[in-house]
Amino acid sequence: MKKKLTFILLTTVVSMAALTACGGNNESSGGNSAQSAGGKGSADVKKLRFATWDTGDALKIEQDIAKKFEADHPGTQVQVEAYADGFDQKLAAGFGATNPPDVMYMWDFPTYHRSLEPLNSYADGDKDLNKDDFYSGLFNYATIENNLYGIPAGFTTRVVYYNKKMFDDAGIAYPKDGWTWDDFQSAAQKLTDKSKKQYGFGVRAENDTYDLQGFVWSNGGSYISDDGKTIDGFMNSKETAGAIQMFGDMLKNGSAVLTGGKGQQSGEDIFKGGKIAMWESGIWPLESFKQAGIDVGTVEMPAFPGKPVKGVVAESALSIAKDSKQKELAWEFIKYYVSSEAIKMRVADLPVRVSVVSELKKDQDPLYKPYYTMLERSDNTPAFLLNDKWNEVNRQLSAAVEAVVHGSNAQDALNQAVKDSERYLK
Amino acid sequence: MKKLFIYALLICCSLLFAAPLFWAVTTALKSQAELYLFPPKWIPSALQFSNFSDAWTIQPFNLFLKNTVIVTLLSTIGQLVSCTLVAYGFARFEFKGRNLLFLVVLATMMIPWEVTMIPQYMEFNYLGWINTLKPLIVPSWFGSAYFIFLLRQFILTLPRELDEAATIDGANKFGILARIIVPLMGPPLILVGVFQVMNCWNDYLGPLIFLNDQSKYTLTLGLSQFKGMFGVDMQSIMAITCLISIPPLAVFFFAQRYIVGGIANTGIK
Amino acid sequence: MAQTYSQTAGNNAASFTPRRKRRWGGAAPYLFIFPWIFGFLVFTLGPLLFSLIISFFDWPIVGQMHFIGLGNYKSMFTDDPLFWKSLGVTLKFAALFVPFNIIVALGLAILLNQNTRGTAIFRTAFYLPSVISGVALAMIWSWVYSGDYGILNYFLSILGVQGPDWLNDTKWSMVAMVVASLWGQGSMMLVFLAGLKGIPKDLYESASLDGAGKIRQFFSVTVPMLSPTILFNLITSIIAAFQQLTLALLLTGGGPMKATYFYAMYMYENAFKYYKMGYSAANAWFMFLIVLTLTFLVFKSSEAWVFYEGEMKRKPQKKTKAGGKGKTA
Repeated sequence: MKKKLTFILLTTVVSMAALTACGGNNESSGGNSAQSAGGKGSADVKKLRFATWDTGDALKIEQDIAKKFEADHPGTQVQVEAYADGFDQKLAAGFGATNPPDVMYMWDFPTYHRSLEPLNSYADGDKDLNKDDFYSGLFNYATIENNLYGIPAGFTTRVVYYNKKMFDDAGIAYPKDGWTWDDFQSAAQKLTDKSKKQYGFGVRAENDTYDLQGFVWSNGGSYISDDGKTIDGFMNSKETAGAIQMFGDMLKNGSAVLTGGKGQQSGEDIFKGGKIAMWESGIWPLESFKQAGIDVGTVEMPAFPGKPVKGVVAESALSIAKDSKQKELAWEFIKYYVSSEAIKMRVADLPVRVSVVSELKKDQDPLYKPYYTMLERSDNTPAFLLNDKWNEVNRQLSAAVEAVVHGSNAQDALNQAVKDSERYLK
Repeated sequence: MKKLFIYALLICCSLLFAAPLFWAVTTALKSQAELYLFPPKWIPSALQFSNFSDAWTIQPFNLFLKNTVIVTLLSTIGQLVSCTLVAYGFARFEFKGRNLLFLVVLATMMIPWEVTMIPQYMEFNYLGWINTLKPLIVPSWFGSAYFIFLLRQFILTLPRELDEAATIDGANKFGILARIIVPLMGPPLILVGVFQVMNCWNDYLGPLIFLNDQSKYTLTLGLSQFKGMFGVDMQSIMAITCLISIPPLAVFFFAQRYIVGGIANTGIK
Repeated sequence: MAQTYSQTAGNNAASFTPRRKRRWGGAAPYLFIFPWIFGFLVFTLGPLLFSLIISFFDWPIVGQMHFIGLGNYKSMFTDDPLFWKSLGVTLKFAALFVPFNIIVALGLAILLNQNTRGTAIFRTAFYLPSVISGVALAMIWSWVYSGDYGILNYFLSILGVQGPDWLNDTKWSMVAMVVASLWGQGSMMLVFLAGLKGIPKDLYESASLDGAGKIRQFFSVTVPMLSPTILFNLITSIIAAFQQLTLALLLTGGGPMKATYFYAMYMYENAFKYYKMGYSAANAWFMFLIVLTLTFLVFKSSEAWVFYEGEMKRKPQKKTKAGGKGKTA
């Protein structure tokens, strides 16, 4: 009997120790236990959870914006939750357990819109927002079936970056707006020097098909019909295949190098090392190119002969979770976040307000101008907004694009992708 | 001659394993302009020690360090206590359902976290533990399969005569564990301690899923703050990696000679 | 595997002393394992059952659950080429990784077990990679493996060899992944080292008196005495191989052309990229069955090659061959 008592005592002590250890933590964490209940627990301080994917300096700025908002709204605390690379996982867990952040960064509206609060009435009913000051078209990216699910907070278009020194060394004139893919390819060829492991252009091993849409549209193609119902004859059209084949060809003739997939040495890294002369991307790497000491220029995308250049916008917006218990406060925060004052603090992407851009004269800075010309050229609707099964189709399309950069024929690969995708569209 | 060969082999392997860390250190010390040069520059032309302090202070890393130390200490103590008890139970007793239960212990190692993550999050959310350090500490007080398995394997190699002798001397089961088995288990217990410290220190997914507020973040979450969706701050990542590798490395360095002290100095010669 | 132990231990108990069964019984064992039982019931069982249940549902995380019976399992086997592809990739990885991992870790442990100076330094060096966090590890490897600008190919070019673009070459990416995974063998090496140190020196002495050379000693003393440790490392390696995700996720993203698209990655993408939580749960349960079966087979076979000192009467171990087992008495 004594033995048994010892064991019971022992196990009790273990569990007690575990629980008290954590009790200790809880004290130091203050009133945060109330947070999981949506902030309603704490008596005077209202806590607003704001989830962001940004990191480093951009995150720092967002924390500053949150602090300013707190100063303007006594009794409010904004908890900036930096999910970084784990953004989608965190949202999945949060939504799955109906404990999502109140406000979050968002771009993938087709996936998440069922869990987001429609914002039409907020946006239309609140003249402080001044919806007309936003670049027209930005709201479309956050709209699904006429419901607005996010307020644009930043965006970027895609441009071609070039290394001025490498152009000078090769004795080639800098590219100018209005150039064509033929110009691009001949420049790329001249800039390539295999003995120095130096290339005219870098092609990503893993492309986001979203980003390629600009090229496809520029060649007069598209992934999907305008009504979002048909892909056969669109995703595998001659124009779509031609645009994608071009990248495969540049890899084959050696004027471009395949740059690492996710997590590998990226094209940006190699561009910073001065081994790639031209690189296409959004505004994200611009600051780091400058920091790496590259004399960098930007130019709008080249055109396919006789066809208008088209661009694609990558937009980040702020959304409110349907499960949020403090939507009014969340809205106030969003409104502040997209106010001129806050927009001016943020530098990582492009301002969404026309008034801010003209005040800062951003569109006249030669380094920034191409982003805005590309914006004017971005009036097509991306495929993922047109079909709610796009995720599945995209899986096939991505595989096809990957096959092309590894040497397959684009037309064959895309035909196969269409064949494999059809069943998802029925 | 043979000794020489062994030393050569040891040094070669050491270089192989340590070179990447050397590379991490030099990367952390490089200036932006030298970061991406090819062929790589092994020794930076000017050592930028400020990279370390810059990276450490841009986010509250002192706080992250404190949280990590709390989690690591408490969960390691928990693992050591609970796994010893459980492993002893499995190794030294015959009881109904033992084999089935041990099978279940092993099975829990095979469950991929992808699918239990969300239900677990729901449970901790229900308990009000989300955004506290509890989900990272409390479960370790109830044993982890890997360590239970490890300790059980060690206990099984200890001769039972020891237990028998102690029983004849009048010791009860707990007495045997405390006075006979545990003193012999020094090395495996230190091994478990080291593994748990490493696991905790470098755990990324647990903190990622269960913590929201920066004031609760651990070091790895702080580290991941340099790797965003659109860009990577490599110098900072390497600088922080070097800094946060020091404590576990020190723990390992001091613990290793106890780990290899021998596991079955069983007292029977 | 359950059977294996009941037989081995049961036979021992019976043959050792008939009283033992009674004496080892009672509530005591349950009290010892109580912490684990409690933790299992509270923290593991619920989530486990939940995942089993949702494997019969269509659950896009955001939105409603729909019961679809065996639908997930059915489409997995009949309608999803990626399922088979990723399963093949993981089996290939496991087949390469598990044996090499054991051999490398054991080899390094034996190397460290020689009486040399400065072993503390060498041990620490061998363990170094296990201390570095995953995010940084992946970045380091990407610099090692990069085709044109990688450190590995830089060294190869000095030797006059033109290396491939390791991670973007369908032929080499799997090899690259295996090597990168082996690099983090530190824990396993340590377990082996602890096991090696535990082998009583007199066994080697008497073996060498019997005229056994180094190699004979390795197979007749080291291997049998180390067999519980080998069993442990074998099983945890198999599990680790099937769960390998971090490197694929951070280094190759499953590419090129799905050459490193591990099953765990497939599961991960179904859950967090395509938000098919129910489907992913079905994937997980299938993998669980595979790993469980493999583990069971390993345990079953371990009856023939694993040797526990504590489960037998003390006999001169040197006579035990690799095939010997605890069932002496």
